[in-house]
Amino acid sequence: MTADLIRRGNLARLAAGPVALAVGLGALAIAQGPGRSTTYAGRSNLIATLTVAAGLALVGAGLVTAFDRRTTRIGDLAVLAGLVWFASVWVGWDNGPSLMRSLAMLAAGFTFPLLLHLALAYPSGRLRGAVPRALVSVVYLEAAIATLGRALFRDPFFDPNCWANCTDNLFLVRSLPRLARGIEVADRWFTAAAAAALVMVLGWRLLRDSWPARRALLPVALPAILLAVTVIAHTIALQRTPLEDPSDPAFGAIFLIECVGVLLLAAGLVWAAVRTRVQRRAVARIATSLGQAPPPGSLQAALANAVGDPELQVTYWLRDAEHYVDAIGRPVAEPVAEAGRAVTTLLRDGRRIAVVSHTAALPELERELGAAVRLALENERLQAEALAQLDQLRASRVRIVETGDSERRRLERDLHDGAQQRLLALSYDLRLAHTQAASDGDAPTGSLLTDAIGQAKAALGELRDLAHGIYPAILAEAGLAPALASLADAAPLPVLIHDAAERRYPAVVETCAYLLVAEGLDDAAQRDASHATVTVVQDSGQLVVTVKDDGTDRTAAMVQLADRVGALDGGLAVEPTRLRAELPCG
Amino acid sequence: MRVVVADDTMLTREGVVRLLRDAGIEVVAEAEDAQGLLHQVRLAHPDVALVDIRMPPTHTDEGLVAAQAIRAEHPQVGVLVLSQYVEPSYALRLLQEQPERVGYLLKERVFDIATVVDALRRIVDGETVIDPTIVSRLVGRRRREDPLAGLSEREREVLGLIAEGMSNRAIAARLYVTERTVEAHTTQIFQKLRLPESPDQHRRVLAVLAFLRA
Repeated sequence: MTADLIRRGNLARLAAGPVALAVGLGALAIAQGPGRSTTYAGRSNLIATLTVAAGLALVGAGLVTAFDRRTTRIGDLAVLAGLVWFASVWVGWDNGPSLMRSLAMLAAGFTFPLLLHLALAYPSGRLRGAVPRALVSVVYLEAAIATLGRALFRDPFFDPNCWANCTDNLFLVRSLPRLARGIEVADRWFTAAAAAALVMVLGWRLLRDSWPARRALLPVALPAILLAVTVIAHTIALQRTPLEDPSDPAFGAIFLIECVGVLLLAAGLVWAAVRTRVQRRAVARIATSLGQAPPPGSLQAALANAVGDPELQVTYWLRDAEHYVDAIGRPVAEPVAEAGRAVTTLLRDGRRIAVVSHTAALPELERELGAAVRLALENERLQAEALAQLDQLRASRVRIVETGDSERRRLERDLHDGAQQRLLALSYDLRLAHTQAASDGDAPTGSLLTDAIGQAKAALGELRDLAHGIYPAILAEAGLAPALASLADAAPLPVLIHDAAERRYPAVVETCAYLLVAEGLDDAAQRDASHATVTVVQDSGQLVVTVKDDGTDRTAAMVQLADRVGALDGGLAVEPTRLRAELPCG
Repeated sequence: MRVVVADDTMLTREGVVRLLRDAGIEVVAEAEDAQGLLHQVRLAHPDVALVDIRMPPTHTDEGLVAAQAIRAEHPQVGVLVLSQYVEPSYALRLLQEQPERVGYLLKERVFDIATVVDALRRIVDGETVIDPTIVSRLVGRRRREDPLAGLSEREREVLGLIAEGMSNRAIAARLYVTERTVEAHTTQIFQKLRLPESPDQHRRVLAVLAFLRA
């Protein structure tokens, strides 16, 4: 801090306060004495006070703003503009030192360029975009040329429209009243055009930006627009009445509004500085407000709340998976900067942990986040990573189950269409051979063939049971209800089915429910149950399947069933004589 | 009797055709999918179509769908579905959709070609045919309070034959008793099971099957 203060810039800023006070009080003295009829401030004590207050307020606001390292440029511009503001009063120091009046005359030409620069560079201090940059450069250049021309060729004595200073120009080289007049008019109209351009640029920004950015821009943009309008009004008034007269109500009103504009601008700058301070505190305090185990996404909410940007988004970078996820681990696109939105990449120990997309009105979020917030971010990133992995794991479990099911289905089809058909064809041939043998009267071959046919029949029966066991075709074709009914037909114990689920469900859900009932019934029979009851109910997005029996207590853990149900993200309750599964079914 | 055979596997189709021809049945056309079958039925005007339940494209229930289409389009043509599934649901579905002149037999019945020929004849005569394996599965189904417990051995036998789609006369012939005796048994059975007796034979089959499934 001390080292900073010693720097020249800060020393100059430190001096700006007293200098401004002196210049301001001087202006007040001039307005109430020698400048009574040659300044607007001299019109009344009220206007004098307003004039001086506006300049001092702008300098003060500039110093407050410059105190924050991120907005020093804006602050400096405000201080300069505030100091130059007083020049218009000092010009009217009747019978005052010639040098003072001459210098003040030249300086007064820079009030508008400085304010325009400030308004366009706000809030970052840098001019973004080709149009603002070009506008500011051209306005400064024009002001410099006009000032030079005024200094070298304007002899106030020969100016028919002079009013504030009709005697002094120390820098005069050659009196060229017509050229000087031309410069005045050209300068006036150019300035009015620049003011109109400023209104358009600021208006466009306000329209384009998102609400948080707009809110940050408004306190400066609105007074700037007001000031630009007074510049245009002043030019028009001078066109009508070439001789400027503070006692003219039109000119008086324009000046009054100008004072108010400068005061509003100063107030806006102070408000923004205070708000930024509050936000920084809030950001710094986020970590403490999160508590012990914040749920995923709380950091984004806290950050959004602290900087007043509801659209703020925190995304995390997963190094291994090499993509971005949100706080709950869902993959998201890489955040990019767009109109009114900026992107800040946050690092910890040189590694990318998170990317924050936020309003562009918040230029350097990176610096605001303290170590505690970074730690919280890293924590949430780890949590997001774990959640993303969990999601992947879940998806892969479902895939494994689905692959297994479709393999079973394929196997069942292959058995039916391959082995079974061949066996059938073989049996038909045996049957034909048998008929042949019978008609030939070959009894031994006939009885051999009868045996063979018997064997083939048995093989077909076994094959059919095997295929059905691998995958019941009726489940895929007709759905859960017919398949369960068929299961009950062949069950080794009486089964009562309460099936309220008539519709079709995803194949993986139907298969899971079917296998649950099949295994549940087998298990019940093994535990000497006299009967079993199967209930299938759909309950808001869940298929609830229950198998209840009256057998002895279960000892099997039903691990495979639990795995299968778990893969569907469902729950399986294994009780002594009851199985209950909740299967999410969309 | 003129028959059309539909089966997508050439090997088994040829086997069936040879066995049928061997048994003196006139096979007038063959088809390898449901569309071809409908086409052949239109052209050949057979008495019965012998249809494999699994045919392209999905290899699940194309045979049942085709059976319904044939029955709807050609009411005089019967349909015998050959299936590898012991699924009462399929048999019931066939009956519920088209109660007359239909049959559901397991594929291995073709070994006993006489059974198939008999089934075809019964279908041509307007009867219904349900495979005995399916009926025995339904009759043998475990029940908590078995309503069939009150039936005598003979009555159970008669109930099974009713479920297979047999007429009283056919049952009498099978059991070597008079038709009057079968009628007496039938009345007993329907009273004991509290089933409404219907003169319509198809309704009788459906009622018994549905009762057994309940």
